[in-house]
Amino acid sequence: MKEVRYELAVVGGGPAGMEAAITAAEAGVSTVLIDRYPQPGGQYYKELPAEFSARHRTKVEAEGDMLIRLLGGVEITRYFGTLVWGIFPKEGEKGWLIALTGNESPRLITADSVILATGAYDLPMPFPGWTLPGVISAGAALILVKTQRILPGKRVLVTGSGPLLLSVAAHLIEGGAEVVEICEASRPFWKAIPYIPFILGQTNRIEEGFKYLSTILRAKAPYRIGWSVVEARGNGKVEEAVIARLDNRLNPVPSSRRTVKVDTIISGYGLVPNNYLSRMMGCKHSYVGEKGGIIPERDETMQTSLPSVYVVGDAGGIGGAELARLEGRVAGVAVASRLGRLGHSTAQWEYGKLRSLLRRQQRFAEMLGKVFVRGSDLFNLSTDETTICRCEEITRREIRAAIEMGARSVTEVKMLTRTGMGNCQGRMCEHSVRNAVMAFTGQSYLDIDKGGAYSIRPPLEPMTVEELAKAAQELNFSE
Amino acid sequence: MRIEKSTSLLPEVKRGRKVQITVDGKPIEAFEGETVAAAMMASGFRVFRTTAKDKMPRGMYCGMGICFECLVTINGVKNVRACLTPVTDGMTVVTQEEVAA
Repeated sequence: MKEVRYELAVVGGGPAGMEAAITAAEAGVSTVLIDRYPQPGGQYYKELPAEFSARHRTKVEAEGDMLIRLLGGVEITRYFGTLVWGIFPKEGEKGWLIALTGNESPRLITADSVILATGAYDLPMPFPGWTLPGVISAGAALILVKTQRILPGKRVLVTGSGPLLLSVAAHLIEGGAEVVEICEASRPFWKAIPYIPFILGQTNRIEEGFKYLSTILRAKAPYRIGWSVVEARGNGKVEEAVIARLDNRLNPVPSSRRTVKVDTIISGYGLVPNNYLSRMMGCKHSYVGEKGGIIPERDETMQTSLPSVYVVGDAGGIGGAELARLEGRVAGVAVASRLGRLGHSTAQWEYGKLRSLLRRQQRFAEMLGKVFVRGSDLFNLSTDETTICRCEEITRREIRAAIEMGARSVTEVKMLTRTGMGNCQGRMCEHSVRNAVMAFTGQSYLDIDKGGAYSIRPPLEPMTVEELAKAAQELNFSE
Repeated sequence: MRIEKSTSLLPEVKRGRKVQITVDGKPIEAFEGETVAAAMMASGFRVFRTTAKDKMPRGMYCGMGICFECLVTINGVKNVRACLTPVTDGMTVVTQEEVAA
């Protein structure tokens, strides 16, 4: 096999990955950028498909366009529409073998350093009826509306926690949907008070927020604070939703339940870092609830416990696009400096420039983490009948039974019930199973290295047996 | 349905070339650049598959290739994620009735 070798592979072409690739390539590092979508931008910039065209661009889109233009001006190999199904250490030497599946990519490439910028996805929030067609994530709704200009439904309930709800609701309203209710699960907005002077400095974000709010107010869509969906109902698809007020411990108050006729429920209870690659590679991780759950441990240059592996953006802890861009630049500088393309003093000067900007964005992320509820706090939205593992169709009752039989960890529940063994490989149920184990065993913390998280194994993407066999030959897998 | 009007958050776009695909034998209109999932949603398809164990309907959930709920059979290939697959003219899409292994 002819070896395709790069100094740096960046996985993920969103704000963090683009910045990392540009920064490193500009310093002369031979760089490859890989993304699952046909075009760069990721879930934040949400670029239109190449076949679509627009005369006007929104502010965020224009910002994305600019970054993509910068990317185009630097020599970077791009594999787009390409999935990474595994990254393996090179036997007996430094570097990583990156296994790809896609139409135009080679099957394997080699890189000395890896920057993972794999982003995040919506926290899957189980509640009765959440598997009905018509319950979709906030991310899915935004993809449909922004990149495809398609409405997911006519009468919509938007439920969850965080500023993203406002964006989703405003886009749906402008697209022509009726937003029947917006339920924000968090009530203690007073937690934001200490941050007010800081928030006032974030003029871009205030402007964006006001734009969304004015659209919502004009449409007279009710914004209920301290409420959540508690049930989805319908015959084969969503026909109505039950919403309820949450008490101070975030339990639904039965007497407040009311039913609304909707055809779509949009669920946005925060984001989960997409960290399956760094976990599979063996980087050290820990559980940090305010940052979205399981995150890689990193130093100030975004380096993980493995010296040639970096994680940037939401994959390293939820922090938003601005923070992601800065982290991408930091890691790009770090890789260039490792390879001797940037002198020590130049690198230090670059870090210095980025540090205060980073701190501001970290503070913003910290505020969001404190003010809005975390999905893990809303475990009581599910009941024993609720499906927790969507792939293997395992209910909360079955998980409870496994725990009564003696299971004390996420991995033990998996062995007894098959949770996390389906197509999604546990991405949908891991946090819920973790919550169930903690709730039903009374443990307040589960060590992720002692069965508190699933073990992640390749392939991370679906592939044919033929494809896998060919790759295994090239990889010299002995088992 | 497709959004046709132009607003400040959603400025008007020109879609790709019009194509036709079939979903469960029914011809539906789609535009190049759309994903199979989006084209199906635009034509009112909500159910993408029926589960093996409990025979429950499922539709698109995460929209970004993570959840595997939108698996359909495309041009004879089973278990393809509709949310990551762009439409092509003449494509045949079949929703899946899954059977227990």
